[in-house]
Amino acid sequence: MFILSGIPVSPGIAIGHAYILAHALGEIEPYSIPKNKVTHEIKRFNNSVRNLHLELVHLKNELKKNKMIEYGSFIDIQLSILKDPKISEDPKKIIKDTLTNAEWALKIQMDEIISKFNKINNTYIKERKNDVYQVCENLIKYLIGHQSHKVSNDRNQIIVAHDISPSDALKFKNSNNLAFITDIGGTTSHTAILAKSINIPSVVGTQNAKQLINHDDLLIVDGGHGCILVNPPNNVIEEYKIKQNLYEIESKKLLSLQNIPSRTIDKTAINLFVNIEDTNNLSPVIENNTEGVGLFRTEFIFMDQHKMLDENEQFVIYKNLTKSLPNKTLIIRTLDSGGDKIIEHMPHTNQNPALGLRAIRFCLAEPDVFITQIKALLRAAYYGNIQILIPMLSSTNELRQVKLLIQRAKDILSSERKKYNPKTLIGGMIEVPAAAIDIDSFANELDFLSIGTNDLIQYTLAVDRTDDAVSHLYDSSHPALLKLIKGVIDSGTKAGIEVSLCGEMAGDPRLTKLLIGLGLRNFSMHPSSLLKVKKMILESNASKLKYKANKILRSHQKLEIDNLINNLND
Amino acid sequence: MIKKDLIIKNQLGLHARASNKLATLSSKFKSNVEIIYNDEKVDAKNMMDILLLSIGLHDTFTLKIEGSDEKKAFESIAKLVDNFFGEGK
Repeated sequence: MFILSGIPVSPGIAIGHAYILAHALGEIEPYSIPKNKVTHEIKRFNNSVRNLHLELVHLKNELKKNKMIEYGSFIDIQLSILKDPKISEDPKKIIKDTLTNAEWALKIQMDEIISKFNKINNTYIKERKNDVYQVCENLIKYLIGHQSHKVSNDRNQIIVAHDISPSDALKFKNSNNLAFITDIGGTTSHTAILAKSINIPSVVGTQNAKQLINHDDLLIVDGGHGCILVNPPNNVIEEYKIKQNLYEIESKKLLSLQNIPSRTIDKTAINLFVNIEDTNNLSPVIENNTEGVGLFRTEFIFMDQHKMLDENEQFVIYKNLTKSLPNKTLIIRTLDSGGDKIIEHMPHTNQNPALGLRAIRFCLAEPDVFITQIKALLRAAYYGNIQILIPMLSSTNELRQVKLLIQRAKDILSSERKKYNPKTLIGGMIEVPAAAIDIDSFANELDFLSIGTNDLIQYTLAVDRTDDAVSHLYDSSHPALLKLIKGVIDSGTKAGIEVSLCGEMAGDPRLTKLLIGLGLRNFSMHPSSLLKVKKMILESNASKLKYKANKILRSHQKLEIDNLINNLND
Repeated sequence: MIKKDLIIKNQLGLHARASNKLATLSSKFKSNVEIIYNDEKVDAKNMMDILLLSIGLHDTFTLKIEGSDEKKAFESIAKLVDNFFGEGK
């Protein structure tokens, strides 16, 4: 047994077998193997060759049965490439000579073969390098345990990956995975968000879990403490089964809070909302008696469909939301693409995507996309309390452009004689420090504000939350940040508009009392955090917290701030 | 040992499928079968090696066969080449 540690992002205990997720060739890395493991490594390589051979023969027979024999000859070519000693023998020499892993040996060999193909002038022959590539890629999939024909939602497994991209994440949403483990990422990475949203334990930022864990290893994942036990002995498994039970009992206790109104001891109502990414699982919004949806990240519905949806397709989705959640507030954020969430067909921004053409900037650059979405939202708002949230505003100039486009959308809808709600509330996401600093000018022009702390922290502290080298600097109780949040809340209160907070901070029970003290009354979070936060709310005294929070605002020392926050919670 | 020149007559030359057929056929014999082309010598039992020679229409290559069944091997391979690798043209 050995133990790996990482950043705990979603609590709970999972016991199951590892399923290594890989994008094959793009992801492989060299590592050296000890001399006494060479035979083992070669055996691994031979197995992958044998498995791929069987797969190809099987495929060929299937094609024959289905009378698709013309594809059969392509398979013959791949079988022949596989049989060629350049593929089936030479990598073994590389393993032996350089003491490297089988994947890397194969990659070295493949690169060499492909460079030979590249030198050939005959384009017809040159094209065959794709067959070589495919054969090698499939071998690597076998080597690292990701078999192309096997869908990853069979038995109970723990996904181990270098990283889980947002679109990968979507594929896992409805599968029966027990836990996620990734090499990179932090508390606000998409793996973390996904894991929380489907309520399964997860550990991210383990650095090298994917390298150290083998396919099918037995794992215990302790998502609350961020540790992973690889191939534990039976007594440890038994111990963790007990812990698993205790955790479940604790979760059940929290469940009893579902129907209690969310307000402090001194009767201040604190409104709870849910963040959602799709409309598949809305039951937590109702079951937990929340006020509604505080943030619907619409880019995920586009990523799910792999295309831009037209006005009617979007309208149907938003309208159905009003039907599924009658009498609830539904705050829908317009497309927030770019950064780490890139829809396949959209142009990619290079270099510094977080500071690039994303969110409202992208929408203003592509007004057709924006107007289409606004039209769909305004129409759906006719059927329920839909409010539109504009992400990433950084200047009032942008806000004016947004308003012009919304007006244009309304004009078009009127001329098309479509029903819509002309009084739909328009809110702004405050996540760029410039907007948070010059907040009054935004508060006067908007119907509500929503603080997006994930980006606000990233931009204020200049820390990339996914960069392991600096992620420890990502600090949600940094004095500068607390001052910005306080400023936004005060400004909204002065302007007589609602202010909510929808970043990770809203779901962190450690910060609940502090935020109440800062004057926050609307929290929007992952459903899995709702009850833990509610538990804190029920123990809070808003007027006392206000006083204590002011004291925290006057502090500049991290240690002192942390102590004061702990005092609030004691 | 048999060493003789052959001319490629099929339009596409020794492309993937033809190379595959040649390698598969050569592998059926015990003899060593080699192709010499442009000063390069490759094992005719390895499809990719043949393919990478990039031998086209009207090109001449040398077939060198050595072993107990060399005569039969040469005849079969020469027949495959002469029959346009079964591609008709």
